[in-house]
Amino acid sequence: MFYREAGKLVGSFGKDRRMLPLLEDRWLAVLFVAFMYFVVTAIASDYMFTAILIPIMVLGVATLGLNIAVGYTGQLSLGTAGFMCFGAFSAFNLILRIDWMTIPLAFFLSGMIAGGVGIIFGLPSLRIKGFYLIVSTLAAQFFAEWVFNAYPWFLNYTSSGVVSLPMHHYRVFPGQENTPFNAAFWYSSQGRYLVTLTVTILLVLACKNLVRSNTGRNWMAVRDMDIAAKVIGIPVAKTKLMAFFISTFYCGVAGAMYCYCYIGNLDFMIFNLRRSFLVMFMVIVGGLGSILGSFLGAIFVYAWPILITRGSDFIFGGGAIDTAFIENNSKIVVGTIIIVLLIREPGGFAALWSSSKQKLRVWPFAQ
Amino acid sequence: MNSPDNKKSILVLKDISLSFKGVKAITDISFNVYEGEICSVIGPNGAGKSSMLNVINGVYIPQEGTISFDGKEFTKMKPHSAAVMGIGRTFQNIALFSGMSVLDNIMSGRNLMMKANFWEHALNIGRAEKEELEHRQAVEEIIEFLGLQSIRKTPVASLAYGLQKRVELGRALAAKPKMLLLDEPMAGMTMEEKLDMSCFIQEINRNYGTTIVLIEHDMGVVMDISDHVVVLDYGKKIGDGAPDEVMNNQDVIDAYLGVSH
Ligand SMILES: Nc1ncnc2c1ncn2[C@@H]1O[C@H](COP(=O)(O)OP(=O)(O)OP(=O)(O)O)[C@@H](O)[C@H]1O
Ligand SMILES: [Mg+2]
Repeated sequence: MFYREAGKLVGSFGKDRRMLPLLEDRWLAVLFVAFMYFVVTAIASDYMFTAILIPIMVLGVATLGLNIAVGYTGQLSLGTAGFMCFGAFSAFNLILRIDWMTIPLAFFLSGMIAGGVGIIFGLPSLRIKGFYLIVSTLAAQFFAEWVFNAYPWFLNYTSSGVVSLPMHHYRVFPGQENTPFNAAFWYSSQGRYLVTLTVTILLVLACKNLVRSNTGRNWMAVRDMDIAAKVIGIPVAKTKLMAFFISTFYCGVAGAMYCYCYIGNLDFMIFNLRRSFLVMFMVIVGGLGSILGSFLGAIFVYAWPILITRGSDFIFGGGAIDTAFIENNSKIVVGTIIIVLLIREPGGFAALWSSSKQKLRVWPFAQ
Repeated sequence: MNSPDNKKSILVLKDISLSFKGVKAITDISFNVYEGEICSVIGPNGAGKSSMLNVINGVYIPQEGTISFDGKEFTKMKPHSAAVMGIGRTFQNIALFSGMSVLDNIMSGRNLMMKANFWEHALNIGRAEKEELEHRQAVEEIIEFLGLQSIRKTPVASLAYGLQKRVELGRALAAKPKMLLLDEPMAGMTMEEKLDMSCFIQEINRNYGTTIVLIEHDMGVVMDISDHVVVLDYGKKIGDGAPDEVMNNQDVIDAYLGVSH
């Protein structure tokens, strides 16, 4: 590696507690964010925004949310898509029914509403663990699918069951109509990308802050040894419910972004059990209890099949081979890679990343 | 130091009985622990020593008896209120948070003193940062005291057994407890590690005035550092008093030599 920790001394606890203790890392982070905001916004194609960048960030936020419950607090959950569904419907109804509602506020409130639902479905965690808890979180999934189907009010009585989200819903700040940044801009893929990027960055920073604070330590203490946690005074029940709240807050915001920023319409059918499994899969592949891993997992599970399909289109010429054939094969390839990865590195991509960093640290000397 | 008349009791156990589905682990045990002393609880395997500690800090609820700590009497102690009142604890089988670093494990020992809520934590505003740095200062003193400086950022799962025991002591100490319950803190250690550990225990007792209740099998250590020894056998108390007094007690000698009951 070009830079290492060695010889870089910190002079205070505050500096030691930084999110990124190395100056080089901080510069890289700043450059990366600047690149995402200025360069990518300027040059990426519509396809890149809507089919790659936005879904990866949205799914990454959902994965991060699930990771807070599963990876950081050790509470298994398969209700992710259900919680996303609550977030999506909350955002839609808030924007639809309240004149002064803006997208950022609606996203925040939909996270809060999903979080409240999460607390309710997290209550069984006070009594049960592991597989049994999975079953009770499944209830959240089925409840969401049922309630938004049974009460058409939530869909504003749209008979088809799918509402496309109109341009005037994209109110990012009050008085937006009178500015050059009108609804048309935010409705465009650039606009949606910028909203997604900003929300994602804020949520990542908040999560990073949480896990290096007392809240995060309490989560991990409950995960690692709940009896010892209790004995040193950690309120175990409160810690679990708070983890569920924050976890489903993230899932709720991800659900709202899924509709508003990614697919542009509202439909409870997409938040099905399959999506819950998909997000769980991203958590495992990315690495339990890792923020970076959550996004690596989302990238890998979501984007690799696309890359392989596009790659083979490129090599064999589009249309030469049946697309369904390629798609199925890409799933097999990705599945195989994931199995090999998890056998070699059960910690997922996050562990792979940190062990390669460790190797680079001593390179070119013996390991 | 052990005479009941001139010392204030910090812990009074009265007629404690505990059974698991009919199997008696503790039968009718009463004893006092005096403020500022080192009290050793000894006895053969399965005598009920660990169960006794679990009763004291509320992990097990005894079927009978009362526990008074610091003048407050309980029939049901709760682990959380035990922690709030200042009872610290280490476990026989190390109960560290294995996925966390040494520093985070010890920091978690101070969770009761941290007041910031999760919004402050998420935004790193208000009390969050300030508290974190204040407590870090206190935790660093413990790290220095226990000689853990070089491994403060190491995940505890990768540490040697003796060091893990030391980290666990640090986590309990971080809460500034009035009383520390140590369940076999020296079991499975080398001679040198035992010596270090008994020095730490004595120093904690002397410097902070922390009352220590210690379970230990090594008689040499027990005789060396205890002010007061309680002997259990088959869930019953068979000895209670100054170390030399207890060692000359015929029941205790019988129990240790394995005379049949
Ligand atoms: N959770 C439990 N459930 C059932 N029985 C238990 C439980 N905890 C302890 N016991 C029983 O209570 C008795 C006393 O156990 P305890 O662990 O207190 O002994 P100990 O004196 O600490 O022994 P050691 O020196 O081996 O640690 C034993 O017979 C044990 O099997
Ligand atoms: Mg024991």
